[in-house]
Amino acid sequence: MRKAILLVIACTLICLGAWTSLGTARGETTRLTIYEGPKTMESSPIASVSVNGYDLFVYDVMVNHQHIYSDTSLPTTTPMTYFDFEGRAVISIRMPGLPNAVESAVVQPYAWGITPEVRDGEVRFAITEPGQYTVVFNGSVNKALHIFANPLETDVPDRDDPNVFWIGPGEWTIDAIALQSNQTLYLSGGAVLHSVISVSQADNVRICGRGLIDGSDYPAWVQAGSSARVPIHLDHSKNVTVEGIGIVNSNCWNLNSYSSRNVRIDNVKIISGRQNGDGFTFQSCTDHTVTNSFARTWDDSLVLKNYSGSTKGITFKNIQVWTDLAQSMEIGYETDKGLTLDPEISDVLFEDITVLYNFHKPVISIHNSDDAFVHGITYRNIVVENAFMQGDNGINKELMEMTLQNSRWSTVRDEFGSIDNVLIDGLTVIHTENGKVPASRFSGQSEDNMITNVTLRGVTILGNPVTTLKEMKLSIDAYCDGIVIE
Amino acid sequence: MKRALCVMLACLLAFLPCAALGEEEEIETIVTIVTAPDQTAAERPPCFPDPKDDYIPLPEGENLAQGKPVISGAHTDVYVDKNVNDGKTDTYWESKGFPAEIVFDLQGAFAVSTVAVCLNPSSIWEPRIQEIAVQVSLDGETFTEAAAPQKYQFDAATGNRIRIDFDTVQAAYVKVIFTLNTSSHTGGAQAAEICIYE
Repeated sequence: MRKAILLVIACTLICLGAWTSLGTARGETTRLTIYEGPKTMESSPIASVSVNGYDLFVYDVMVNHQHIYSDTSLPTTTPMTYFDFEGRAVISIRMPGLPNAVESAVVQPYAWGITPEVRDGEVRFAITEPGQYTVVFNGSVNKALHIFANPLETDVPDRDDPNVFWIGPGEWTIDAIALQSNQTLYLSGGAVLHSVISVSQADNVRICGRGLIDGSDYPAWVQAGSSARVPIHLDHSKNVTVEGIGIVNSNCWNLNSYSSRNVRIDNVKIISGRQNGDGFTFQSCTDHTVTNSFARTWDDSLVLKNYSGSTKGITFKNIQVWTDLAQSMEIGYETDKGLTLDPEISDVLFEDITVLYNFHKPVISIHNSDDAFVHGITYRNIVVENAFMQGDNGINKELMEMTLQNSRWSTVRDEFGSIDNVLIDGLTVIHTENGKVPASRFSGQSEDNMITNVTLRGVTILGNPVTTLKEMKLSIDAYCDGIVIE
Repeated sequence: MKRALCVMLACLLAFLPCAALGEEEEIETIVTIVTAPDQTAAERPPCFPDPKDDYIPLPEGENLAQGKPVISGAHTDVYVDKNVNDGKTDTYWESKGFPAEIVFDLQGAFAVSTVAVCLNPSSIWEPRIQEIAVQVSLDGETFTEAAAPQKYQFDAATGNRIRIDFDTVQAAYVKVIFTLNTSSHTGGAQAAEICIYE
């Protein structure tokens, strides 16, 4: 009898331990905010998702699985949903829109350490941390589900404030919104706004909420009769914050900032599938910080250029990237489009970047194809979960690429710049398409225009530490110097 | 002792559903459900009243320019001249430099008295001034002045459009001549629609 009692006690303790290890301890309460979709829209027939037993509205948003550029490429869709929470959320998913029943599922980023349960076609897993979660079913990225589990909202603006434009849940359309200094646009969760938001020569502007800016009402900008409608465009502005919202179905770039300074972007989620669908794209900007955000894009995901003056003081931190087309972290190609004096791109930090997938061109790239001095660039703790770069007809499929050559996007063709002082501190590649180390390439221009002082440290590819340029498959030409791998 | 054992077993059974995620797990949840309003179509956000009440009015009647043949000089990028009379203000024509002339073949003579030049009414088209003149012709070769060059203010608050009224004149061809655009985003003339009225 005593043995039996001990056995029961042990079992009880084990069960209790297992339960508490899944998340919030018993007795704690989860706070959850969910948003009805607009009554003009139907929840996706592809996916049904609930959290703690509450059904979520699921949006079908444009993505593109064609990993080569074409003016005529048409997007497909993938499901996306979101909610806010604090505590413990058990997410339950069914995928009636898949051709086959769900037999396996993977939650990314892998660093979450989540092994979902799959039973009778239902996928379940628990989360305790706000963030972005992507679920891939049956080993195929087709119809991967993006779940944006936001933190509970704080600092919601006062809708009675005359400087606050407050857009509630529902489907809304307005050709454009031009925000002036000291104005706030609040886009509530559950809102779908068909519009573009411009902040031009303004100071102290805030765009926030949980809603979506949706560009699906316009054809791709490359189509005859259409035009580019950038969902959020900052132009010669300062002290701007963008928080919490999502940007989907844009017909061109997504969140663009031009010659602006002191911009803070946090928890912004971008998914695009049409031509020139770059994610966070800044030209000639200073003091920009993007944190806790997500970009699945059909063009460069995180991109810095010089259009009119230099770029300085840019930080991307804790960003998830899924690059269906072009580069994941691109500096260039245009580095002096505005033909300014002594253009530079400097003091740039990419930190804690998880590349869920890159299907096309280099993950890390500096294409200095004008005459800028690019220096002080740091990549820290970069994790590439799936480095599936196929390039264009076999070229431009490197893991890293740094070049000082002209390109079709060059403005300056008779002078060249240089690249100096680049640190890659922590680069992990988990999977590649063929199970081999992908090549990388550094190519300077001349003895006066070189790539210098690039340090790689803490590189692990396919589980193996990489300590030599040969292991890295890094080719460097005669116009590179001080390329060190530690 | 048996009772104690039963209590422990009951406790164990009580915890079992929580131990395996595959089972239904009840989590004490305080939920806020943000509801959507009744709508049958996308609407204009109430916080942005419709500004059309303040638009510069256009004449009633047929726009003689719409869909008619049009000729111009060089254009910028993809902003071709056929955009200027396609009936849509979200497409536009942009010349390459100044002066910029655009000629409409009305395919017949009409008693013309107004030319309206419209930009995209969106407020992201910042206020600007364009200098514009109008000439008319019956044969497409010899043009006479209907409206002398004058600077016109385009402002989204008034619809980003202007109208040029002049003494009624017979015209089979109307030439609109741009000599200035103060927008910082272009070096040429811009027009989303040019409308011609009797």
